[in-house]
Amino acid sequence: MARARPVPDVHVWRLLLTWLVMLACFGGLTFRLWNLQVAQGTEYQRRLAKQSLRSVRLPGIRGRIFDRRGVPLADNRPSYCVSLFLEEFRQAGPSQRTVDRVMEALYRLAETMDRPLPLGPQDVRLHLGRRTPLPLVAWRDLDATAVARFQEHAAEFPGAALTVEPVRVYPQGNSACHLLGYVGRADETKLPGAGDDPDEKFHYYLPEMAGKSGVEKRLDGVLRAFEGGKLQIQVDVAGFKFDEVSRREPQPGSDVTLALDARIQRAAEDALAGQRGAVVVVDPRTGDVLALASQPGYDPNDFVPSVPAAIWDALRNDPARPLYNRASGGEYAPGSTFKPITLLAALQTGAVAADTRYSCPGYFQLGSARFRCWQHWGHGSIDLQSAIRYSCNVYLFHAALAAGPEAVQALARACGFGRETGISLDFERPGLVPDNAWKRRERRDSWRDGDTCNLSIGQGALLVTPLQMALYAAALANGGTLWKPRLAARIVSAAGVTNEIPAERAPAGPRWDARHIATVRAGMRDAVNELDGSGKRAKLDGVVVAAKTGTAEYGVKGSGRKMTWMIAFAPYEEPRYAVALLVEDGVSGGTTAAPRVKQLLTRTFNEVEGRGLPPVPAPDAPPPVPDAAAPEEEPA
Amino acid sequence: MKKRAQSLGRLILAQDWLAVLLAAILLGTGLSFIYSASWRGEEMGIVGSWFRRQIWWAALGTVLATALAAVDYRFWIRTAWWLYLAALGLLALVLVVGTKVYGAYRWLNVFGVLVQPSEFAKVALVVLLARVLGGGALAPRSFGTLAVGLLLMALPFLLILVEPDLGTAMVLVPTTAIMLFAAGAAFRHLAGLALLGVGGIGLALSPLGHFLLSDYQHERILTFLDPSRDPLGSGWNALQSAIAVGSGGFWGKGFLNGSQNVLGFLPRTVSPTDFIFPVLAEEKGFIGASALLLVFAFLLTRYLRTAWTAGDPAGSLLATGIAGLLFCHVFVNVGMTIGLLPITGLPLPFVSSGGSFMVSTLAGFGLVQSVHVRRMRREV
Repeated sequence: MARARPVPDVHVWRLLLTWLVMLACFGGLTFRLWNLQVAQGTEYQRRLAKQSLRSVRLPGIRGRIFDRRGVPLADNRPSYCVSLFLEEFRQAGPSQRTVDRVMEALYRLAETMDRPLPLGPQDVRLHLGRRTPLPLVAWRDLDATAVARFQEHAAEFPGAALTVEPVRVYPQGNSACHLLGYVGRADETKLPGAGDDPDEKFHYYLPEMAGKSGVEKRLDGVLRAFEGGKLQIQVDVAGFKFDEVSRREPQPGSDVTLALDARIQRAAEDALAGQRGAVVVVDPRTGDVLALASQPGYDPNDFVPSVPAAIWDALRNDPARPLYNRASGGEYAPGSTFKPITLLAALQTGAVAADTRYSCPGYFQLGSARFRCWQHWGHGSIDLQSAIRYSCNVYLFHAALAAGPEAVQALARACGFGRETGISLDFERPGLVPDNAWKRRERRDSWRDGDTCNLSIGQGALLVTPLQMALYAAALANGGTLWKPRLAARIVSAAGVTNEIPAERAPAGPRWDARHIATVRAGMRDAVNELDGSGKRAKLDGVVVAAKTGTAEYGVKGSGRKMTWMIAFAPYEEPRYAVALLVEDGVSGGTTAAPRVKQLLTRTFNEVEGRGLPPVPAPDAPPPVPDAAAPEEEPA
Repeated sequence: MKKRAQSLGRLILAQDWLAVLLAAILLGTGLSFIYSASWRGEEMGIVGSWFRRQIWWAALGTVLATALAAVDYRFWIRTAWWLYLAALGLLALVLVVGTKVYGAYRWLNVFGVLVQPSEFAKVALVVLLARVLGGGALAPRSFGTLAVGLLLMALPFLLILVEPDLGTAMVLVPTTAIMLFAAGAAFRHLAGLALLGVGGIGLALSPLGHFLLSDYQHERILTFLDPSRDPLGSGWNALQSAIAVGSGGFWGKGFLNGSQNVLGFLPRTVSPTDFIFPVLAEEKGFIGASALLLVFAFLLTRYLRTAWTAGDPAGSLLATGIAGLLFCHVFVNVGMTIGLLPITGLPLPFVSSGGSFMVSTLAGFGLVQSVHVRRMRREV
């Protein structure tokens, strides 16, 4: 800077100072580089060979699922694994040499533990490429013998370690399988919080177990745990922990307590005794789902961590469809169990009073068509309460035609039919309440009186789910409150924060006059407790049960295939249990469903309430479905 | 006609060809080691073609740099306020419609190409500071000048910080400080600020902070400042990077032969970008790594020389600011890969893979060239 600056605003010495400081900083970097690469270079090269960085997974524990009394329905158990920390196997030069070294260790480990080789070179290469920082889990779920053999020889296998990971178990086996669902490894391309970034697969965590169906799926956000991890520097061959570098704490999931009672659930499943069907038990006071059973079922333990192809194919191809949840996803004609709705609608419109009598000659003539009562010789002149007791079709035809189809359809919708109940389960079906608009749209025809007659006795196009039937039975039991089914009762976070889930009413419930519902309930009581009642096989000694049977023909007319139903509630005066039970291809509601409801209620009162009711033998299985060639008139 | 040819000739001859040569060396080095860091991953189908993408971005940046060198920088100085406002607008936009990558909203998706507005904002801030501090309207030594400079820096700083992109935001602070210093700000003002800033944040974040804070506390502060930060990921990267650099030794393991790199212990997602320096240091050793630093030092010298010979104070400050950006990036990036600074995720100029960053680096280079072409003729 020999000469005077022509532009005084440029501060030469300040620029010079800036330059010198920058050079000094670079000098500092170079000094550090010299230290690292030259002064300690051999130390780092030695480290590369001897010391390694282990990225250890700290598994997150998925929330457990309990029944209402704390009986575990879904739990976790430890699974002992042998994992390889690939950093400790690396070789200079092409990566194939590292892969070979890992494979060699795997062969020796397989021999030591007497276990088949779990991985091929391709798996090792993929792991090396995609998620080098993560340990490679070679064997999972080792038994005590294999673990002992490994521990004995652990010193011979640097870079291999015993690790523990949680595995989901369902202690109740196939009980409540449809409701609980199962878990599987979350899709590997979609990691939690990852969005659609393809680079995320390089991250330092494996996807967590995710619910694949049932409560496990619907409450996955609550149950799901997040894995943590720690980085530690290992120094010697025995894996002596030297230094922990960084750590991310795992986040355990929240525990869920269901409203379900495992004892009632088991009784419900036993009541179906190998038949295809469904049972739902609801507490009429709260809407708690005490049991939700569908048969046949499966063992969700087979699905963890992934379902073997053979089991999956067998389940998929089974004509009885064990994977299908009949309780909330099955749509069936309700048959005579629907009759209380028709009668309540008729009472409500004023078209029929409790003392209105109609005469039943065994059939009902509508124009040229003749609608039969199941009792060929007729019921004579009866009132409304007796119409329920005997399940007389002819009385219902008269009542429905007097009230008009709109009143019946409106009340059916108010009772929750034709829409989903909103239970936290996938594949719930809404059912169908047919009306004029539906018939015009689907059948290109207008609504006729014959349709009204079919609707009045729960036949025709009407479809309901067993879950809807149980909630409707609960509404009959409690005098008109339609509940939203409460599956989960309580969520307790790992930190101990409890979140009670309140009982909730369905958006639109029925509005019944107290006198009307009293008449209908009395009819249902008589149906069970009178010797000539249609549901007499559900009578208990010691508890008054009220019920309505149903037998709905389906399939080709005259094929004799029937859905057999019973809806019931007990005790009559202060109902604590409302039941809907369905058996596919039974004989009739009275002979197939009623004894099963009796068995279920007996066990419920004995096991849950400690009553000493006489035990009920398991009901006989209904005979095989008759051929379509042999049509037969059956009670409705 | 003759006159135009003459002026074009002068434009070409007056370029700082030494700086062009240095930049070309850096670009070539970058491409080689991006190839080294990505060919295995590409072969395995794990990552896309970093190498080919980088060639395209470098070409685009070179075209832009040439155009900027040809245009008089005073045009940009005049329009500085508009550039700055546009940058703030884009930074606000990225928070609303930005694309999320690694948990941070830093990118705008422009017809399928991800663009980082913060890169544009860095350059726009330097241009505006050059105008405001070099315009002569403000007394350089007054505290008011200092306050205006800091305020102008604070707006993009905060917008980038909430993306979050701690690294890029932090670069703005020393760059602004260097420009304030070069513009003639009073020592006591700068010293006071430095004490406040460096004393607080610097002590907590630098390795010196380890005396006061535990590793976990240290980590927690960083995670607080940058929520997308993953302690396991950065811990792993930091240690593997130190091992890669250290095991390189004096001569290195040879091109395409670094075991940390080839086996993917330096994760393949970061090795061509923020961790390109350890790839080079492992394969080319101390010789290669220090040679690279020497090239950067030479380029910085050329930038500052341009600042010295500039035709007006604004041009001088512009070149100083671009030099400041270059310096901060190189120092922080190399510092973090060799364990001097915490991992904040800043790329290495001219060398690291990354589109927007490559373009902004070369745009800065073009601006300095434009100042250089229009320099004072002066004897030393």
